[in-house]
Amino acid sequence: MNTRDFLRELAARTWTPAARTWLERASAEAARGVDDERFCVLFSEASRWVRPKVPLAASEAECARAEKLMPGFSPERWTALEATRAALLFAHKDLERDEGARAVDELFRYADVGEHSALLKALPHLPGPERFLVRAREGARSNMRIAFEAIACDSPYARHWFDAIGWRQLAIKALFIEAPLWRVWGFDERVDAELARMALDLADERRSAGRPINPETWMCLARFAGKRGLESLERELATAGSRGRAGAVLGLARAGELERVRALAATEKDELVRDAVSAALAGRTDQTAFKILDAAAQGVR
Amino acid sequence: MRFFDPHIHVASRTTDDLDAMAKAGIRGIIEPAFWMGQPRTQLGAYIDYFSALVGWERFRASQFGIAHYCAIGLNSKEANNEGLAKDVLQLVPRFALKEGVVAIGEIGYDEITAAEEFAYEWQLDFAHRHDMVVMVHSPHRDKKRGIRRSIELAKHHGVPMEKLVIDHNNEETVEDVLEAGAWAAFTIYPHTKMGSERMVELVRKYGPKQIIVDSSADWGISDPLSVPKTAALMLQRGISAEAVELVTWKNALDAYAQSGQIDVESLYQSPQIDQRTFFSDNSVLRGQQPRVDAPIPN
Repeated sequence: MNTRDFLRELAARTWTPAARTWLERASAEAARGVDDERFCVLFSEASRWVRPKVPLAASEAECARAEKLMPGFSPERWTALEATRAALLFAHKDLERDEGARAVDELFRYADVGEHSALLKALPHLPGPERFLVRAREGARSNMRIAFEAIACDSPYARHWFDAIGWRQLAIKALFIEAPLWRVWGFDERVDAELARMALDLADERRSAGRPINPETWMCLARFAGKRGLESLERELATAGSRGRAGAVLGLARAGELERVRALAATEKDELVRDAVSAALAGRTDQTAFKILDAAAQGVR
Repeated sequence: MRFFDPHIHVASRTTDDLDAMAKAGIRGIIEPAFWMGQPRTQLGAYIDYFSALVGWERFRASQFGIAHYCAIGLNSKEANNEGLAKDVLQLVPRFALKEGVVAIGEIGYDEITAAEEFAYEWQLDFAHRHDMVVMVHSPHRDKKRGIRRSIELAKHHGVPMEKLVIDHNNEETVEDVLEAGAWAAFTIYPHTKMGSERMVELVRKYGPKQIIVDSSADWGISDPLSVPKTAALMLQRGISAEAVELVTWKNALDAYAQSGQIDVESLYQSPQIDQRTFFSDNSVLRGQQPRVDAPIPN
């Protein structure tokens, strides 16, 4: 089974009988061949049959299955409407040909926020995903966080198709708009010295402005922290609040400074920072370790 | 109190306005497609405009806890550029069925020309085929005749009167609209269309049934707080709280929720704001602390 069939299956169980009838009719029409305008109308009309913002609610087992089918793909945060739109998209007759690519591009051209999100999430599942790189890069430049996360998070697209410039910009943009960087699949494999430098510049810029530093900034240093990075991490430990210091602890561990982390274990009182220390000493220093900062993000910066 | 402003061109208002609107209790708005103060010259300008109505503008309003809906249509003024107008009409189906599009609008007459009538009838047909609400802009000049003709044609094209909203009414036109069974909307403008004081007298005379108050605030001299200000004056002048709620909240919701695109229940709940959903170097917040989960005081 491929991810296209899998997504359709997940979507199908959210459909009311009326929605199923509509989708089957619309898919059949798309499979016979439709002009771009008609396809655009069908794609938008989906929101009149499947309620927006209702979670797809994939189970843990289904998310694990998704990861097996396509490493980097998780339906965890998809909505029922997004999966329904993806199913309609996959039904298009000419998907593999230039006509299909043009139809997808036309959908982007007329897309509203919800449609943008659905299209960007669907991109890695289309044949020849690299054909849509320009649209994917646009998504990663968006100030609408829903669009940004649709391409950047829980998706293998950027890891496979973004060049170094686009990849680093995506990472720094995530810090700006506080999208969860740890959800950018493949992040750890593509950290490099240049990204570490950009993250440290951003940290300095924030300090000069008297503004807090997004704790996921410290994810970007890894083994490229260097002397400058270690100094910046120490400064964060000395001055920041709970989330900032927890992020700095993980940053130190990722830079190989386990002795320093062990020393903190003896004295640290803050619960979140202690969680970070425990994770680090247990060897959990990959990007997903930063997930512990999510819950603490509510209401705090 | 809570308010619903069913006609505001919020794309041309600032974030200060959005903030003030939210603080005044405005929880939901409708942004009908209109012209931009001068005629557009190419199709692409309409594509980008309609896209903004279902995209960026909706997102911008949500940052202030305001639910943003819109109406899609070719306005009467620009319908007079016949060549371009035909192409713009072909765009309408691509946008009109999107999420949060509650009506075809604002359409109707400006100078009551043949070209305007062609676009109006084309869009009435579309609305009828898709069972949509229609928001009609009534002309400034020769308003009474324009309104009568708008209603007549809407009937002729099978649009049910409970799905027809005639906007920019005044003392001279209101009876025609009420008698037809359509919704009569009033735009409260400083200096021109209708003032709050006159609006109070209209509600006193005709009662609140079928009557809707809006701001139509845009890029000209206008006031995005018209609706709450008029409500305050009505209460002060002895109009009942129930009547005020009908004309500044519930009637508009009843009219436009027929689209199935408004989550009325969630509008009744206190809005939660999370400005972290977007802010960055190039967006509404520029370095300020975002407001998180702050309920709108009412």
